Amino acid sequence: MDDSTRRFLQRLIRRIPAQMLKTTLDKWGRLTAAQKQSMDFTEPKWAFTERLLDICEENGWTWKHITELEMTYVIDNPNQGMWYAFQLMDPEDDAHSVELTHFKEQFKSHLSELARPVSVKMKKHADEAIWIRIAWGDSFSRPNHQKPTYVVHHLQTPYVFVTSLTSKQKPLLSQALVLSTRHQAIKDASLSGRKLGAIRDLLMRQYQQVFPTSYPSPLAERNETVSNPQIEKEQAKSAENRLQMACEAFGDGMLPQLQSSVYKLETKFKDHTNKTMTEREEPFRCVVKFASTNLLESLRHCASSGIASTPVTPLLSSIPLKGRNYFIIKDNGPGPSSQTRQTQN
Amino acid sequence: MQGASATGVLSHLSRLEVQARSRKTEPQQRSRVTELKAAAEQLRMRREQLRAEVETHKNLQKLRTSMDKRREDEEGEEGMDEDSEDSELLRLMARHTQLNDLLYAHHIIGGYDAIKTRQGQGLCLSLPTAYDGVFLETYNLEIDVKPTPRIARHNIPPFIPLSDLVEQSDMKTDIRAFLDTLSQHLNALSGRKQQLKLVKELHKSVEVMESNALCSILVMMVTVPKEKTAILCTLDYTDHTRCLPTRVHFECNGKPLADSPDWDKTRSLLLETPVHKALSTMRRMGNIV
Repeated sequence: MDDSTRRFLQRLIRRIPAQMLKTTLDKWGRLTAAQKQSMDFTEPKWAFTERLLDICEENGWTWKHITELEMTYVIDNPNQGMWYAFQLMDPEDDAHSVELTHFKEQFKSHLSELARPVSVKMKKHADEAIWIRIAWGDSFSRPNHQKPTYVVHHLQTPYVFVTSLTSKQKPLLSQALVLSTRHQAIKDASLSGRKLGAIRDLLMRQYQQVFPTSYPSPLAERNETVSNPQIEKEQAKSAENRLQMACEAFGDGMLPQLQSSVYKLETKFKDHTNKTMTEREEPFRCVVKFASTNLLESLRHCASSGIASTPVTPLLSSIPLKGRNYFIIKDNGPGPSSQTRQTQN
Repeated sequence: MQGASATGVLSHLSRLEVQARSRKTEPQQRSRVTELKAAAEQLRMRREQLRAEVETHKNLQKLRTSMDKRREDEEGEEGMDEDSEDSELLRLMARHTQLNDLLYAHHIIGGYDAIKTRQGQGLCLSLPTAYDGVFLETYNLEIDVKPTPRIARHNIPPFIPLSDLVEQSDMKTDIRAFLDTLSQHLNALSGRKQQLKLVKELHKSVEVMESNALCSILVMMVTVPKEKTAILCTLDYTDHTRCLPTRVHFECNGKPLADSPDWDKTRSLLLETPVHKALSTMRRMGNIV
């Protein structure tokens, strides 16, 4: 094992929190039972790392094995860094029958052609997700394993989730994805967040949506827990209506955790009391950002408690409806944000 | 106030006051009596109202049963002979309850449920799915009616080709055809998903190697009892409106399996019966472990 590999392993073990070390190493599955026994998980990390390095030397492991360990850790703990969603467009006729081995082969070969040298690792997770780890190199150096890009894709769905991708690498990855999934184009889905599960659930509609029904809604039935029958709520009916509209706009129960929503305004300034600003020709450029630990939950609560007026304005309800959290608002209505972001292919 | 004499102006005044007050209680009693009489009158009127409602309800029930029986017998006999306005109204009310019950029954057995939203500008449809007598997920569509029918909101998964189906059928003239095709796709998807779930639950000796979100491909590893060899069994569901596979392929050690009558029979079994039931049959017949 050379120095760079050794340092990589040290940095990786430092990154993994102590309580997750055992489970991650078990899932990695490369240590024999005897070796596992010999490891002491209670000793300080630097000592632990030394022991692990010795085992790696014994077994003659290389980059290939260590990056496997990193991938195991990232798959179990994906919520580090920002994830961006992309959408594949215009499927070919056989896009629906792309199967796993075919996709893997095609992706590896296309990416290797486009970005030589490159190190690609693919793994199918239990929940039908394909994880891809890409270490990019260029004509002067070997693949850089310190800054890998991770890609997650579910076959037969149009969505791809990417983290740690530079603008130079984006066109190469886009081309490889488009070719191997048999689509014609890929575009930015204008959705980003820290939690992979949240943006995936939002796009695949895996949260509880509420639709109007003529039969007693579960919402009304659940709210029948009256604390004290002597207490009568004065505006119970309007509160119920607000709750129904808020849930129809955002959903019921646990909502996917988004952290922010950004509105880029390019509209003309409109305020009768401020003539100088209103008389300007150019649009008033302004960026409004809503941030929260759980943005959709906060917005739903704003609507149901009356802080935001109901029916919920389309500016807010577009977040779950269109599955995006970056909007450009022009005077003639919200425009697609792909106008300012560069789309490749 | 104390220490005043029994006689004197103030004591006289207070005596007069007491007298005046005792005179007032009599009219108070009288007004209390009229109050109670008025309340009694109101309650009597309410009782008459309720009696009339009960009567109407009974007549309505009678009319309903005769109407329901008439539908069964297909006879057109007159039942009621009251003054025309009342009986007409009663008949309309009975028909209304009949239609409501019919809609509810349709909803319970899993038909589409459609309601108007936003004062007639929207329509919300719910499509339930079921497989093998078990209700599975319900999917919803919210449609804007004006200017042309288009889908505003839905919770249909992205791998169902919704936009293709919308293009293929004209939503304005024949929305029923669109809904029927969509319902076919959704029911087939739920059915295939349920079969996969049952395979994982009931057949622990069979290992599912590959499946996907659309449940259009299923690769399983089965073991032959005698030689303990592992056979890779691939089922392709290329017709997404069906719950049965269109192609079954066996492989052993990377090479396709040699043709044999046993395996041909197994192949046709897998093509014709749902996979979880087929596996049970195969285990019972001793073909696989």
